[in-house]
Amino acid sequence: MNLREISSLVFIVWLGLLLGAVLKIVAYDNILTGGVGTYILTHAAPELGAENIVTSVLLAYRGLDTLGELTVLFVAITAAGLVLGQRRTDAPSDSDAGFILRTAANLLFPFLIILGTYILLQGHFSPGGVFQGGAILAAAFFVPILASPASPLHHRVSRLVEGLVVATFMIICLLALFSDDAFLALLLGKGSVSQLFSAYSLPLLHIVIGFQIGTAFAGILARLQETEASD
Amino acid sequence: MNGVWLVALPLLGAFVLPMIYRRHTIVGYWTGPVILIINLAIAMGLWQRVSADGTHSIAMGGFPAPVGITFYVDKLALLFAIMVILGTLILWLGKKMGEVREETLLLLIVAGGCGLALSGDLFNIYVFYEIVAVASYGLAASRGTGAGYAASIRFLILSALGSSMLLLGIALIYAMTGTLNLSHLAYLAPQMLNNSVGLVAFALMLIGLGVKAELFPVNTWVPEVYATAPARISALLGGIVSKLALLVVLRLLVLIYADTSAPLLLLSLGILGVITGELAALRSSDLRQVLAYSSIGQLGLVAIAFAIPGPAGIIAGIALALHHALVKPALFMLTEAWGGQLNRLVGAAQVSMLSTLLFIVLALSLVGIPPLPGFLAKFLLLKGALAVENGWYHTAIAVVLIATVIETAYFIRIMRLMFQSKTQQTADAPLMRDLKPALSLVVLLLISVLTVSPISQSLSAIAEEAADKEVYINKTLPSDWHHLEKVEW
Repeated sequence: MNLREISSLVFIVWLGLLLGAVLKIVAYDNILTGGVGTYILTHAAPELGAENIVTSVLLAYRGLDTLGELTVLFVAITAAGLVLGQRRTDAPSDSDAGFILRTAANLLFPFLIILGTYILLQGHFSPGGVFQGGAILAAAFFVPILASPASPLHHRVSRLVEGLVVATFMIICLLALFSDDAFLALLLGKGSVSQLFSAYSLPLLHIVIGFQIGTAFAGILARLQETEASD
Repeated sequence: MNGVWLVALPLLGAFVLPMIYRRHTIVGYWTGPVILIINLAIAMGLWQRVSADGTHSIAMGGFPAPVGITFYVDKLALLFAIMVILGTLILWLGKKMGEVREETLLLLIVAGGCGLALSGDLFNIYVFYEIVAVASYGLAASRGTGAGYAASIRFLILSALGSSMLLLGIALIYAMTGTLNLSHLAYLAPQMLNNSVGLVAFALMLIGLGVKAELFPVNTWVPEVYATAPARISALLGGIVSKLALLVVLRLLVLIYADTSAPLLLLSLGILGVITGELAALRSSDLRQVLAYSSIGQLGLVAIAFAIPGPAGIIAGIALALHHALVKPALFMLTEAWGGQLNRLVGAAQVSMLSTLLFIVLALSLVGIPPLPGFLAKFLLLKGALAVENGWYHTAIAVVLIATVIETAYFIRIMRLMFQSKTQQTADAPLMRDLKPALSLVVLLLISVLTVSPISQSLSAIAEEAADKEVYINKTLPSDWHHLEKVEW
C-alpha cells in the first residue's frame, strides 16, 4: 500500500468514528421546540397569507436560497453542456419506442402540462409547490423524448427559455429592490388565505420557478440521453 | 448602492449571456468584462460607504435576522469580493472570443464568490458554495482531454462528499440551536455550541470547506486538476476561489468558535498541508504540479494564520491570501506554454527573457525575499504566531521556516534550468495573449511594494473590524429579536 492509500484509509476511519460519536451524542428524540422554525410555524400564515408553510419558507423567508438552488441547476446544465459538447449530426440514435408508446406519450403531454401548472398555481395554499410542479413539467417534456429518441429536444430553445425564465425571476426580485428597498421583497397585495390571488407575489414566483425547474431537468436528461446514444 | 447587486448583477449577466451571444458575438464578448467593471465600481463605492459609516447588514426580502437571510457588508467581505471580481477581470484579458459557456460559468463563479464573502447565513453560504463548486467542475474539464475528464470526475466525487460533510455540519448546528443566522449563532454559541458536538460540527464543516480550500486530507484533486485544466482555470481555482472557502472558515472561527480548541484543529491541518505540499513540490518534475503543490503549501500558511486568535492572525491571513492571489495566477498563466516536464524549461531565458524575468520576480516573492510583498506576509505570520503562548504555534513557526527553505530549493532549481543553454526540447515563448494577465498581476505586485505602508495600515483596520464579534451581532440582529426567545428553548 502506498502512502496515499494509507492516508485515505486513516481519513475514512476517522470520519467513521466522528459520525459514530455524533450519533451517540446528539439526542434525536429531544428536538428543540424553539428557534426560527417555531417562529415561522406560528407567523407564516398570518404574515404572508400563504397557507402552505413550506412554500412561504422556500419563496419568502429563504427566497435567496431558492434563487441560489435555481442557479445551481442552471450552472449544472451549462457545465454539462460544456463537458458533453455538441452532438454529431451523423451519430446514431436509439431506436424508436414503437407506435403505442409514442402515441401515449403525445397524448400525455398536454395533461402533464396542465397537472404541472395546476400544482404550481395551487402551491401557496395547498399541498404541492414549485419543485413538485417543476418535476411534473420536466416529465411532460422528457416522456416524448424517451418515446422517440430520434426527435430530440431543441437545446437552443430550452436554454433560451431557461435563461429567460430565471432572468424574469431575478427581475421580479430586483423590482422589489426598487419599490420596497429590499431584494426579494414581496410585491402585490396579501389577499386572503386560500385564494388563488393571494400571498403577495408568491404565485407568480411559483410559476416562473416551476417552469425553470421543468426545462432545466428536461434539458439535463435529454442531454444525457443523447450522449448515451451517440456512442 | 445595495450590496445585493454584487451577486445579482453577474447572475443576471450569466442568465442572459447566451441570448446576447446569439444576436451579437461582439456585444456578448464584452458583456462579461463590462459587468465585472460595474461590479468593481459598486464594490469600491460600498468600501467608501463602510469606511465612512461603519459596517451594515442587508435583510433579504425585508425579513430581519434571525428569521430571514442577511448579508453582512464589512471591509473584509468587500476585500474578498474585490479580489474575486478583479482577479476574474484580469484573467479575462486576452481570452479567446466566443466561449459562451466558459464565460457564463466565470460570471457565476463571481456571483457565488461575492455571495460567499457577503452572506451571513450558514445555509445560504452552503448554496453559494455549491454554485461555485458546480461551476468549477465544468471549468476544470473544459480543455476537453481524457485526462481532464478523469481529473474532473475525481474532483467532482471528492467535492460532492465534502459538500455533504458541510451540510451535515450545518444540520448538526441547526439541530442544536434552531437557527442558521451567523449573528444569532454568535450570540448563542457560548452556551450552546462550545461543547464536543459543536466541535464535531466544526470539524465536518472544515472538511467540507477544505475541499475547495485545499486543506490537508482532502486536497488530492489539486495536482491532477491543475495539471490538466486550462491555465486560466487553474489560476482562478487555485489563486482565488480557494481563499473564499478559507474566508468562511475564518468567519466561523471568529463568530462561533473563538474560545474553543477549534483553531488548533485548523492549525494542525494547516501545518500538515504546508509540510506535505512543499515536500511534494520538491519531488515533482512537472511545472504545473510544482505550482499546484506549492499552492497547497501556501494555503496551509493562510490556514495557520487564520488559526492565530485575534486581529494579528487575520492581518497575516489576509496578507498571505492577497499575495498568493496575485502571484499564483500569474505563475499559472506562464504554464500555458511552459507546462509539462521541467526539462522543457532548459534554456527558457534565451527564448523569452521577459517571461523568465516575470517568473523570477514571482517566485522570489512567493518564497518571501524582501522587499517583495511575500516577505511582509510571511513576516506578519511569524510575528502573529510568536505572540501566542502555545507550543503548537511555535511548532508552526519552525515548520513555516523549513517550508521556506524547501520552497527556495525547488524554485532555485527551476531558475537554474532556465539559464542553461537551449536544447531541442526547450518550450516556445509564452504567447502575448497569456502574458497579459501575468503582466498586469506583476504590475499590481510592484505597486504594492511601493505602497506598503498604507496597505499595512488598512489591513490592520480591516482585521480590527472583522475580529469584532459584538459589532457583527449588534449590526445584524434587530433590537427586538428577543421575542423569539419567549418560545421555550
